[in-house]
Amino acid sequence: MQSPQGDYGWLWWIPALPLLGSAVCALLHFLTLRSRGVFAPKAGGHGHGGHGGHDHGHGKHGHDDHAHDDHAHDDHEHSVPAGIGALAHPIAALAMLGAFILSILAVKDLAAGGEQLTSIESSVWHWIDTGAFNIDISIVIDRLSAVMVLVVTGVGFLIHVYAGGYMKGDAGFAKFFCYLNLFVFSMLMLILSSSLLGLFVGWEGVGLCSYLLIGFWYEKGWPAEAGQKAFVMNRIGDASFLIGSFLLVHLFGTLDLSDIAAAVQGKLGEDGVSFQLLLAGLLLFGGACGKSAQLPLFTWLPDAMAGPTPVSALIHAATMVTAGIYLVVRLNPVFAASPELMLVIGIVGVLTAFVAGSTALVQRDIKKVLAYSTVSQLGYMFLALGSGAFASAIFHLATHAFFKALLFLGAGSVIHGMHHEQDMHRMGNLRKYMPQTFLTFLVGSAALSGLPLLSGFFSKDEILAHTFANGGVYYVLWGIGLLTAMMTAFYTWRMVALTFFGPERFDTKKFQPHESPAVMTIPLIILAVLSVIGGALSFPPVFPAIFHPEFLHHWLHPVLQPGEELIAARGAHALSHTTEWALLGLGSVVALALAHAGFRKHMAGIAADEATAARSPVRTAFLSMAWGLDAAYQKLIVGPVRLVALMISAVIDGTFIDGFVNGAGEVALSFGSRMRAMTSGNIAAYGLWMGAITALIALIFVWQR
Amino acid sequence: MAGLAVAAALCVVLARNPIASILALLASFFALATIYLLAGFQMLAAAQILVYAGAIMVLFLFVIMLLNLADEKPMARVDTAMFLRRNAVTGMLVAGALVGIGAFAALQASGALPAIDPNAKLPEGGIDSIQNLGEAMFSRWLLPFEVISVLLLATAVAVVVLAKRNRGPQAGGGKGS
Amino acid sequence: MSVPSEHLLVLAAILFGIGVAGFFLRRNVIIVLMCIELMLNAANLSFLAASRMHTLANGGQPDTQGPIFAIFIIVVAAIEAAVGLALVIALYRNKQTVSLDEVADLKN
Repeated sequence: MQSPQGDYGWLWWIPALPLLGSAVCALLHFLTLRSRGVFAPKAGGHGHGGHGGHDHGHGKHGHDDHAHDDHAHDDHEHSVPAGIGALAHPIAALAMLGAFILSILAVKDLAAGGEQLTSIESSVWHWIDTGAFNIDISIVIDRLSAVMVLVVTGVGFLIHVYAGGYMKGDAGFAKFFCYLNLFVFSMLMLILSSSLLGLFVGWEGVGLCSYLLIGFWYEKGWPAEAGQKAFVMNRIGDASFLIGSFLLVHLFGTLDLSDIAAAVQGKLGEDGVSFQLLLAGLLLFGGACGKSAQLPLFTWLPDAMAGPTPVSALIHAATMVTAGIYLVVRLNPVFAASPELMLVIGIVGVLTAFVAGSTALVQRDIKKVLAYSTVSQLGYMFLALGSGAFASAIFHLATHAFFKALLFLGAGSVIHGMHHEQDMHRMGNLRKYMPQTFLTFLVGSAALSGLPLLSGFFSKDEILAHTFANGGVYYVLWGIGLLTAMMTAFYTWRMVALTFFGPERFDTKKFQPHESPAVMTIPLIILAVLSVIGGALSFPPVFPAIFHPEFLHHWLHPVLQPGEELIAARGAHALSHTTEWALLGLGSVVALALAHAGFRKHMAGIAADEATAARSPVRTAFLSMAWGLDAAYQKLIVGPVRLVALMISAVIDGTFIDGFVNGAGEVALSFGSRMRAMTSGNIAAYGLWMGAITALIALIFVWQR
Repeated sequence: MAGLAVAAALCVVLARNPIASILALLASFFALATIYLLAGFQMLAAAQILVYAGAIMVLFLFVIMLLNLADEKPMARVDTAMFLRRNAVTGMLVAGALVGIGAFAALQASGALPAIDPNAKLPEGGIDSIQNLGEAMFSRWLLPFEVISVLLLATAVAVVVLAKRNRGPQAGGGKGS
Repeated sequence: MSVPSEHLLVLAAILFGIGVAGFFLRRNVIIVLMCIELMLNAANLSFLAASRMHTLANGGQPDTQGPIFAIFIIVVAAIEAAVGLALVIALYRNKQTVSLDEVADLKN
């Protein structure tokens, strides 16, 4: 790692600004609660802070069994004035804007340095210093984190702006922004840390904030369970992550990311190292699976839709779920060292994409469609990683952030305008009522489905091309990937058709859907623009040079170099220009065709869905429950674990521990009552005691001689 | 003599009639006095009889007579009822323990003390001849001597106070000692 | 003299034990006081026995500590008997009884 020129001490403001924002919003929340009299002593009152005490009393639904309940009513308090808490929105948004501007400046500096400057960093804190093992917390902007930080702060800023409109009137307005900013801070720590440990701190932090934000409306009951589910699944991944990092420390003696990456090549010659690397990589990948919702740890993400839509947009489309991708790319030599591991990653990714894509085909809740779509697209990113196309994964990460966030925010706008209706079967023809939302949503859908020349097209195509190029078993992966792309186009346009076209399936007498305010639509427009032009980041290599083809790849080259060298050593794969054009063409045709099919089938209304359900109810049910995985987890894992916990609490806790504690009390009591009997007033008894003790003393005395 | 002492002691404990107990105690005092004499303690033997048998026993007798504790009816010689009381067994065990320990210690002690000169004889006039005692008492043991006399004075006063009645006088004033 | 001093000590122990037994077993306060006297006598005896042993060991040099202390003990015993009996009289006046069983005022 090159040493930085110049003083970059201001770098740590990038994560610090959101942290500050979070603290200020927390204060504002506290003030709001106070102004509502939550802390005032009152007789018989709850004294329970939170969301203005509007308990819906939904109670326990037994949600463990149906992860895909149609929670069509995104109910929450609408009409609570925010008071001083309203300041939270501008403050949080400004913090984000500040972070974004600083990121731009930092990246500018980095770019100005040319090929020689690989990173700029600023050390913040010496955490562990034991001579043999040092951990330094420093903020590093290198080429990879530059891309990530721009995406996170940019898209994050837009979502913050949007959320001010979406969450208006919610009782926990300031609390929401506190959590949001805290989340961004953790995410930035994750991306910008120089050490695996700092990364892990951010990793855990985003997991925590995800839990907090998913369960934001915990009074309703099921969001709290969803939050817990997300957290626990993440945790499983975290355990894997930790063990993997232990292995890395064992191998390399350090947790510094760039040091590890540089040292892999050299270490490979040694005995047993390749197996250990494989193991470490596998474990780290396990952590990534948890965080990025891959098979088998993905069932939390659809449930996470219980949180407010901006949360889904930020966390579960653009940022947190991409942390796993970032991890793999950052440590690319560790993974690239073993072809078997790469294959595993690819298989897991493409299978996840397939399963999730097929599930999205039959969902009725608009957010669930998007959730499964996210899982599916993440699968694509892992497929890219598994094929050695690290830059493509990052490319898809960025474009996906644009159009998925756009889609989620658009869905939020729809939900907002439909007074919290989420079931598409009750929507229809909304383009009449929400033109701006409609148009931006259209752009997002086009990008997602891979219609030509939009950003999604280029990124997805690049992934498939690289997979194809690897040959051998990767042809199968490519095939599945292509199938999934077809499904993606289909379900995306089904979603569009059901929502914005066709007959109106709601009662216009009861309410009129309305367009969202500007504070919500402007971010939509910006994201739409990005979704269109985002493809410029990495045009296919067959494009003429003036387009700067594969720009992203070149930009990221210094970071990816160790991994790519390892892969190249095993034999380079390249596609001929003809094959490339053919694949490009195939991709376009497929996307267009399936999009058209999906749209046509469903633009008349829900008749098509009902027909499918009637024809093959079993298959529909199977698909809609994510191939039954959630139910399987319930039966096989959650059930037994709960049983064991119950047993432990009943037996060990009840019998032993309680017995011990109560027993101690019993002993004291009985002892006391027996002692009481001694004060009988019977003088002879007293004398007896005296005599007995005297005898004892005499005995001891004699014994001493 | 030893046997007599033991027997008398047993009588003290076992007798039912308090008067019998007192008389038994008297007998044991006499036995002990004899033992003292035989052991070479002349002065003490005399003191024993004078003080113990003479004054203390008389005191006991006076009190028993005064309180009219002697029962008229004929009764068993031995107070068997006492053995049935609570803790009787424990009490006897404790007593036995003490005896045992004491005896054990005594028998051990013979090894610990300096060897007895087989030719030694007790001095003329006994160990506690008046001369010896007087020398010791008024030299080394002067202070305890004085203190004891003060104590005696105090006792006299205390007894008068304790036995005094709150209401009008009745039989039983102070007790001289 | 021919009687070995150890025997005196054993005798003292026995007498003491009897006194202790009586102290525990008898109901009548006055008898209990008498048993106390008995115990004191036993103690006296043991003192004298020890004094005798020392005398004999020192080759006839009289050891006066024993008898002196025995005198003190006798005096103290007399004092204690007097006071005790005075207490008994006071007790009898208040409770009309000298049985220890019924004088459990210290109960609880």
